[in-house]
Amino acid sequence: MENMNKLAAVARIKWLCVSRNTAVMIGPFMVLGMVWGCKILYGLRTDGKLVPMMMAVLLNLGITMNICTNGFLTVGTAIAEEKEKHTLRVLMTSSITGMQYFIGSILYPFVLTVVINFAILWVSGISMEQVSIPAYFLVSIAASLISCVIGMIVGICADTQMNANLIGYPLLIVFMMIPMFGNMSDGLRRISGFLFTGVVTKMTDCFANGVKYTVEPLDIAVLFGELIISALVFLVMYRRNGYEKD
Amino acid sequence: MEQNVLLQLSHISKRFKTDLALKDISMELHQGEILGFLGPSGAGKTTTIKIITGQLRQTSGEAKILGTDSTNIDASIYEKIGVVSDNSGIYDKMTVWQNLSLFAQIWRVSNTRVEEVLKQVELYEHSKKQAGKLSKGQKQRLVLARAVLHKPRILFLDEPTSGLDPTTAVEIHRMLLNLKQEGMAIFLTTHNMEEATKLCDKVALLYQGEIVEFGSPQELCLKYNHDKKYQVLLDNQEEIVLEQTSENIGKIAEWMRKNRIQCIHSCEPTLESVFLKVTGKALNA
Repeated sequence: MENMNKLAAVARIKWLCVSRNTAVMIGPFMVLGMVWGCKILYGLRTDGKLVPMMMAVLLNLGITMNICTNGFLTVGTAIAEEKEKHTLRVLMTSSITGMQYFIGSILYPFVLTVVINFAILWVSGISMEQVSIPAYFLVSIAASLISCVIGMIVGICADTQMNANLIGYPLLIVFMMIPMFGNMSDGLRRISGFLFTGVVTKMTDCFANGVKYTVEPLDIAVLFGELIISALVFLVMYRRNGYEKD
Repeated sequence: MEQNVLLQLSHISKRFKTDLALKDISMELHQGEILGFLGPSGAGKTTTIKIITGQLRQTSGEAKILGTDSTNIDASIYEKIGVVSDNSGIYDKMTVWQNLSLFAQIWRVSNTRVEEVLKQVELYEHSKKQAGKLSKGQKQRLVLARAVLHKPRILFLDEPTSGLDPTTAVEIHRMLLNLKQEGMAIFLTTHNMEEATKLCDKVALLYQGEIVEFGSPQELCLKYNHDKKYQVLLDNQEEIVLEQTSENIGKIAEWMRKNRIQCIHSCEPTLESVFLKVTGKALNA
């Protein structure tokens, strides 16, 4: 009960901070707007009906961008902002544990990422018959969680919000661009298969092409493997210096 | 351990790689007492607070806070202590009320207490104001209000009036003395010797990680009052400083008989001059 109380307090703090940050709040709506805009542009010559390839591009772009920006940048910059404004130490000396701070910090971005992922499906106009909802739900949850944990790592490494962006953007390029351009090069496709965003891309390609998608053992291994690796990296960094280096 | 000893440091040392930041620090803090850690920047004041509050591990020695070894404390200790560092931040974009109510939720403190503390620090009328729009002094009062919201048994203050104007500093001093009256033990670090003289029951003079003197401000000042002198202002506005000799005692007695003395002060050293005498360095150096 006490834990839940503190967890709720951290989540409330994070919500109040993030909801007052226009740059961060605009991100998810920008992704939805971009998907909607691209759907209209891509469909100009085909009476609004997208060919499978264009639908795949649209879904990949929207979903991977949503997962990466919400996770890497929202979570990372929120922690960096607390460091910059000297509120992180205040929070950590108010009886909040590292775990409570961790969960409280990722709760809102995680839920928002999953919700926006579903909204993207709806905005893209893809037929729901082509989508395997349980698989989408599972992969979406795992990928969002991984990106939030990576965001926590970004937050530990960064001292300022600017710094968090500097660390977050290269990661964003790697995790977003490699799966997106996987169709253009065999090398990139091979690498993409080992990225959590690559699993998302593979799934959305199947949906767009009307092929039944089942979560394969390799996909599960990639998702859980990367979740464990990112959690371990986070733990090692947290144990070394806490959230803030002295 | 005595009933009212809330904090006990025994032979604490801290080494950062090759630098010895703290050397053999020992002292006690009792309930309802203000202990001042006085020293220039880099003397080890903040390091001491971090060790006591479990944010840093000492290299050797033992620190006991509320009867628990500081190496064994967990986050729950912060429910019993309050910490204000020299750069404690506030949530700028939230209101004054939200800044406190969030921590009230963490410590399970009622809204009535939030109201009470806001009234104490005279910020109640600013409850709905964005904290970022407060003046520097008001922000510091808000930080202090947050630190005492859960009625901690020990309050750690790291340079609480650093950079504040004298009026605000006086307000903070008044608040601290009230908290002391309520029985709170206060561990205060400062390099402002006037503040230490005014507030502290005991002071430790810290220099290069070592306590070079310990005692009440008055004890220390009298201990180093070797050359007793008196400053006299006569009715003709002449200001004279006289050493304590039998001839000067006679002179002063004579002026007193003739009612020529406007005012007279003893010239015992201040904490600053004691520090200078002991270390050869000024406090603000």
